[in-house]
Amino acid sequence: MRSLGTGFWVAVALAAVGFLVVPSLILQSPIEPNMGFVQKIFYFHVPCAIMMFLSTFVCAGGSIAYLFKGSERGDRLALASAELGVLFGICTLTTGPLWGRKAWGVWWQWDARLTTSLLLFLMLVAYLLARRYGGPAGRKLAAALSLFAAINVPLVYKSVDIWRTVHPKTTVVTTLDTRMRVAFWCSFLLITLVWAVLLIIRMRLERARAELATLRLDAEDELAEGRP
Amino acid sequence: MTTMTAAWKRIGIALAAAVALVAWTGTALAQEFEKIENIPKQEIPAGRFVSIAYGIIWLAVLAYVVMVAAGVKRVNQEIADLKRRVDRTGPRG
Repeated sequence: MRSLGTGFWVAVALAAVGFLVVPSLILQSPIEPNMGFVQKIFYFHVPCAIMMFLSTFVCAGGSIAYLFKGSERGDRLALASAELGVLFGICTLTTGPLWGRKAWGVWWQWDARLTTSLLLFLMLVAYLLARRYGGPAGRKLAAALSLFAAINVPLVYKSVDIWRTVHPKTTVVTTLDTRMRVAFWCSFLLITLVWAVLLIIRMRLERARAELATLRLDAEDELAEGRP
Repeated sequence: MTTMTAAWKRIGIALAAAVALVAWTGTALAQEFEKIENIPKQEIPAGRFVSIAYGIIWLAVLAYVVMVAAGVKRVNQEIADLKRRVDRTGPRG
């Protein structure tokens, strides 16, 4: 595998610093009067949900490049981002119920935001399953599936405004107190950096796998020619 | 006709007995609940929930990094094996 660039290591260093700084910013931010201390889950629950959305869009973008231009790089990008979508989906769908248990008194509600989020997560899981077990047409099937997942993202986002739901509305981020806002955006930056670093290393791995497959074919040819 | 009236009477008595039994059982069950004056407030520990949520995120990220690192190690190993096999066969021509 080729060495990773300076930008990558800067992002790793920034993420490490953020890992130390952001929790203290979150703890120092004011306590929300209605929900109390548990509201602090918001500072990493929301960025994780945004990363799930971003991963879905990137996955759809890569899939479009693969479907219409046959781009292998686009396909690798789609796979890496779908995996990250599942990863951040797990984070969103586990931190949310922890917050909900304290704030609403229940772990789960079949309301619009929660149900559409679960649906998006399942679509990303289906993408990975289609690629792994879908046979020769699996990659194309998965790519088409990612387009449907991307269409679902605006629905997940606007669901709290369209339907009556117990989940906080989209205006909650724009109306934050200044200290809360600083903590939120720092947390968002940290999680975005982590996402970018993970995407780069996952794409590198996929490229190395592709190179290995080519090398294997070349080696088989060489071995066949070398035999008496 | 007399037989019919007697039968209805018996059904009525049986129904009244059943209702009385159900009412008695209900009252007996209701008496199982105890009356408490100072109800303790049910408190869910918020700090623990926040810590668990934060821990889940970093554990998930760490697990993913470990998975990717294992994948990189496997690919590097396979490349090394392949080179060894090619070298053992010797140069072409």
